[in-house]
Amino acid sequence: MTAVRLTGVSKRYPMLSRRGRLHSLKGALLRGEFWRLQQESGGFLALSGVDLEVGRGETVAVIGPNGSGKSTLLKLVAGILRPTQGSVEVNGRVTALIELGAGFHPEISGRDNAIVNGMMLGLSRSEILRRLPEILEFSGIGEFFDQPVKTYSSGMYVRLGFSVAVMVEPDVLVVDEILAVGDQLFAHRCLDRIARLQRQGTAILLVSHDLGLVEQLAHRALYLRKGSPVLTGAAGAVVARYRSDVASEEEGVQVVGGSARRWGNGAVSLDDVALVSTDGRPMRLLSSGESATVRIAYTVRVPQEDFVFGVAIHREDGTHVFGTNTELDGWRPEHLTGSGEMLLDLPHLELAPGRYLVDAAVHSQAGLAYDYACEATSFVVSAPVGWPGCYAPAHQWRPRGPAMSHRSG
Amino acid sequence: MNGDQVGPVGLLVSLYRQRALLAVLVARDLKARYRGTFLGYLWSLLNPLLLLAVYTAVFTFVIPARVPNSTVPYPLFLFAGLLPWLFGSGALLDAAVVLPDNGPLLKKIVCAPEVFPAVTVLSHLVHHLLALPVLLAATAVVAFLGRAVFPWTVVFLPIALLLWVVAVAGISLGVAALAVHFRDVKDLLHNLLNLFFFATPIIYPLEMVPIGVLRRVIQANPVTPLIEVYRDVVLLGRIPSPLTWAWAVGVAVVCWVVGAWIFSRLRETIAETV
Repeated sequence: MTAVRLTGVSKRYPMLSRRGRLHSLKGALLRGEFWRLQQESGGFLALSGVDLEVGRGETVAVIGPNGSGKSTLLKLVAGILRPTQGSVEVNGRVTALIELGAGFHPEISGRDNAIVNGMMLGLSRSEILRRLPEILEFSGIGEFFDQPVKTYSSGMYVRLGFSVAVMVEPDVLVVDEILAVGDQLFAHRCLDRIARLQRQGTAILLVSHDLGLVEQLAHRALYLRKGSPVLTGAAGAVVARYRSDVASEEEGVQVVGGSARRWGNGAVSLDDVALVSTDGRPMRLLSSGESATVRIAYTVRVPQEDFVFGVAIHREDGTHVFGTNTELDGWRPEHLTGSGEMLLDLPHLELAPGRYLVDAAVHSQAGLAYDYACEATSFVVSAPVGWPGCYAPAHQWRPRGPAMSHRSG
Repeated sequence: MNGDQVGPVGLLVSLYRQRALLAVLVARDLKARYRGTFLGYLWSLLNPLLLLAVYTAVFTFVIPARVPNSTVPYPLFLFAGLLPWLFGSGALLDAAVVLPDNGPLLKKIVCAPEVFPAVTVLSHLVHHLLALPVLLAATAVVAFLGRAVFPWTVVFLPIALLLWVVAVAGISLGVAALAVHFRDVKDLLHNLLNLFFFATPIIYPLEMVPIGVLRRVIQANPVTPLIEVYRDVVLLGRIPSPLTWAWAVGVAVVCWVVGAWIFSRLRETIAETV
């Protein structure tokens, strides 16, 4: 079920000029077209042509450099802004965590502010009163709860704001770069809470510059640049693409050959990626626990001193299963030239039945992609018994009590 | 922001639906206002009392003034007109800044903007209601001293006050929405309020104005009937003529409709502009 659907969404902010405003007052009152005159011609196009769907229980991250329209997108979903073009559909109650503790009144107590804030977020007075003990407990503010908010430290302030916001248990949660609030302990609690909302089926749309966090929390990601979508897909791949673009900008290199599934500057190219058996034959179907090898055939166009080979396996819904690279495994790059193969042996691929997709990449240590291939190959794991999840380790039951039934057959 | 077109009636419905939030926000305003003061809510009573004392002293000893054709002491007459006026002008001045002041809420949380001007008016109404006993008590004292009859017409006060609240609320909505786009509104409002203060029979009774153009102008001033019905029933013990009532009701309704209409027209742009 879709919780959020954006279709062809664009947002243009008017450039405010004194004359323009006065000029259109009459039109505004008579025809309600306060901005239209300016929208069509001038203004600043903050977002254009964004399509996005977020299902229930799904978490989608929006990433991109500053000024790429991430916050605008969140505000459109939250209903704070309206799109200039396109449509934004949201099913259910939306809570926006765009600024924690927004609108806390400094003179009144944390308790009273929590009540006001909770009601603004859509709870009834009795609902919020029932949850106050939980809010107090979660925020860890203690005796300060009944003190005016102006006496709070900034950490206490955001902790209270977060506690109130997540207690609302929204259907759609919109989060703007705020998960890194408070100390280590509170940050962990926030993540726990987010995970709980995910399990409860809350659709989460989050903006973060913490790419590690994005990979950890999000199933999918949308990469925006100057208001336009660059790539939408599995979080790991989208993050890799963004990292690559950032790295290439730092080095002043123009990224070439960018598409939704394949990008890189082409210094090294991946000619073929395949899952092969120990005797080198391609495999498409394997049984759980079998051994397999990911074989990456490459050609070097520009010899490299700095290179990392990486492989990631994920499910079709974006769930990460496994990922590693030569750097993580302690390789020191020396020299890469000519053409050859890189093999990743997986002696026991203990995966649950289902279809798996493999990404392969070769990039610099800073993340600049030479060649990044999303979903370069896929394979299917079969097993006698269907199994949810991804991991299916070898296992065995050992009965030790009396009157246990024995395994039949 | 839900719903595309909210007219004057739609705004009323929206506010009614959010009455619980309104109550909490008004309570917050009141709590915040007297937080840390020694006398707390007593100030709501003390402020008008001190004001009345000053007026009484000045207009008894410094400039002895009288109300023609009435035994009601002038300071009380002035006070009865001033109380609703201060309520209305205070609410309007606050309404002009309430949306920018609550910008963080409007921009960062999804909430209906009409809540804020409504809270402003309601908070001022609460203060007005707290000041009202001072007026009633003073009237009772004067009646006890035999200077005037206690006005039994005070039973009509709720109606007179309701009309005034409706008018003030309507204009507040319009002012709040316009002030978001035009910062000049606040200064303009200041001057208009000054003008209307003197163009309305507050510090003088209408009967004192010489018959002629000037009196017509003051009679045509839409604020006049609202203040007149209020003071007639609360102090002078007169039941205003049906024509005055009709005039007052008409002004209140028009103020609400026009103000709410302006607000609903600009409603969508508020969160983007504050």
